[in-house]
Amino acid sequence: MTRDSRKPLGLDDVLIVDCDVHANEPPEALAPYIDMPWRRSLELLGRGPQRYLDIPGYAPILNLDPPFPDRGLGNRTVTTARQMRDELDELSIDVGILFPDNLLKIAVFPHVDYAAALGRAYNAWLADAWVSREEGLYGAVLAVPQDPKDAAEQIRTYGADDRFVAVYLPVAGLRPLWGDRMYDPIYEAAEEMGLPVMLHSVGLIHPHFPFNLEHVESRIVRHPINHEFALMANLFTMIANGVPVRYPDLEIVFTEGGVSWVPFCMWRMDKEYAEIPTGAPYLERPPSDYIKKMYYCTQPIEEPERARDLLTMIDLFDGRDKVIFASDWPHHDFDHPRTVLNMPFDAELKRNIMGETARRLFKLPVPVPVA
Amino acid sequence: MPRIRVGPADDIQPGQPAFVRHGAIEIAVFRVDDGFRAYRNRCPHQQGPVCTGPVSGTLVATADTDWRLAWVLEGRVLICPWHSMEFDLDTGRRIRAQSERLRAFSIEVERGQVFVQVGPRSAPSASRQGT
Repeated sequence: MTRDSRKPLGLDDVLIVDCDVHANEPPEALAPYIDMPWRRSLELLGRGPQRYLDIPGYAPILNLDPPFPDRGLGNRTVTTARQMRDELDELSIDVGILFPDNLLKIAVFPHVDYAAALGRAYNAWLADAWVSREEGLYGAVLAVPQDPKDAAEQIRTYGADDRFVAVYLPVAGLRPLWGDRMYDPIYEAAEEMGLPVMLHSVGLIHPHFPFNLEHVESRIVRHPINHEFALMANLFTMIANGVPVRYPDLEIVFTEGGVSWVPFCMWRMDKEYAEIPTGAPYLERPPSDYIKKMYYCTQPIEEPERARDLLTMIDLFDGRDKVIFASDWPHHDFDHPRTVLNMPFDAELKRNIMGETARRLFKLPVPVPVA
Repeated sequence: MPRIRVGPADDIQPGQPAFVRHGAIEIAVFRVDDGFRAYRNRCPHQQGPVCTGPVSGTLVATADTDWRLAWVLEGRVLICPWHSMEFDLDTGRRIRAQSERLRAFSIEVERGQVFVQVGPRSAPSASRQGT
C-alpha cells in the first residue's frame, strides 16, 4: 500500500532516528563494572542521598539557585533499556543513540584514573545492559578527555561492536577544549573505526570557560552559554587546530545546540581567517567549508515566530543533509519528534532530518519503513 | 451541543483536576477560587499533557513589586509537565505570553454535578459553584 502523497507526513510515515537519548546510570549500577579501588567509591555513593544529576563525586554540579515548588525541570530518568524502548515507542522513535546522564559531567574530575575508570565502567555497562540492534538502541562510546590514550583503546574495543555507532565527547567543564592536540589519539581511533564523534554538553557551573558562570543569576542565561556557547568554543578550536584537515574521514556531530548558531560561526571564522590566516595554519580552505561538512542535531529546535525562517537558517549552511533529529529524551527540554516533523519542510527534507541522514551517518542497519 | 457529565463538584479538589474524554479530546476540569474551569489536556507548545502538571504559583518582578522577586498566583498556575510552560488557570492564557492559551470549554454545575459543554471553540468560561 502506498501513502497518499498529498497528505502531510505523519510520525509513522518516516524513519525516526533520535541522535540523543539519555540512559540514567546511578553509581550502584556502574559499581559492578568499575575497577578497584573505585568500586568502593561507587558503592558508597550508591548508599547515599542522590539528587537529579547532582551527586558529589559522581555528578558534581555547583547548584546555587534557590528552589521553587513544582517546577518539573529535569527529574525524569530512564533507568533500563526496556523502559527506554517503551518510551521511544510512545514517541514513535525507531532508533535511539544513547548518552549518559550523570556522566555528562565526567570531564570535570581532576583525578585522571578515576575518570578513566568511570568511562570504562559506563561503556561496559552500556554494552552489557543497554545496546541492542533488535531494540534499536545504539551506544556512543564515552571518550574520557582526561586520558585520551585510554579513551582511544575504548573506542577501538567498542568500535568493533556494531551496537556502538559513535563516540561521545563530553563538553561540560572540559579543559582544554576539543581542538587541543592532546586529544589526537581519540580522533585517530574514531576515524580508524569509522565512528562519528559527537560533542554534547550539559548545564553546569565550573571554573573552566565557558562554564565559569557562578556570578550569573539566571538559569536562562547560563543554559545557552553552557550549551551553544560551549559548542561554538569547541568548534572554533577544532577548526583552528585543523581537526577536520588532519582527520579528513572523521565525521563531527554537535548535539544539544540547535542549528541557528552555525552560520554565525562560519562567517565569523571566515572573517578571522581572511585577516589572520596564520591563526589556522592547518586549513586548506576557509573555515566555512569544513563547518558545512559537520552535522548538527536539532534539539533544542528553534521555534521562530515564522517557522520557515528555520529552513532559511538551515540553507545558510547548506545543511539539508547535515541536520539530524534529536529529542534529548527524557530531559526537561526534550523535543517531541512531531515538533520537528511539523516544520514547513518538504517531504524529502523531513525524511532526511528525521532519520535518513542519521541512518547513513551512523551506518545503521535499519530498514526504511514502507510509506 | 454535547454535554458531558464530569461528576460531583465536591469530588474536584484544588490542584486535582477531574478528566473526561470526548472522542479524541481529553478535558480536565479544575476547581479554582470561584468555581471551575475546563481546558483541553494539550499544551499549545509541543502538545504535551499540560493538565497533568502541578498547580502552583510563579515568580514575578514588576514595578508593583518594586522590581523585586515576588511569589504570586499561588494555586492558579498550571505548569506543563513536559517543558514547564505556565498557564493561568483562571484565564487559560500562558503567563507572560498572553497570545497563547489553552483551549477552554464551558462548564455548568447543576444540583452539585459538574458538566462540560463540548462544542465549537469557546472562550474561556467560568462557572461559579452552585450556579
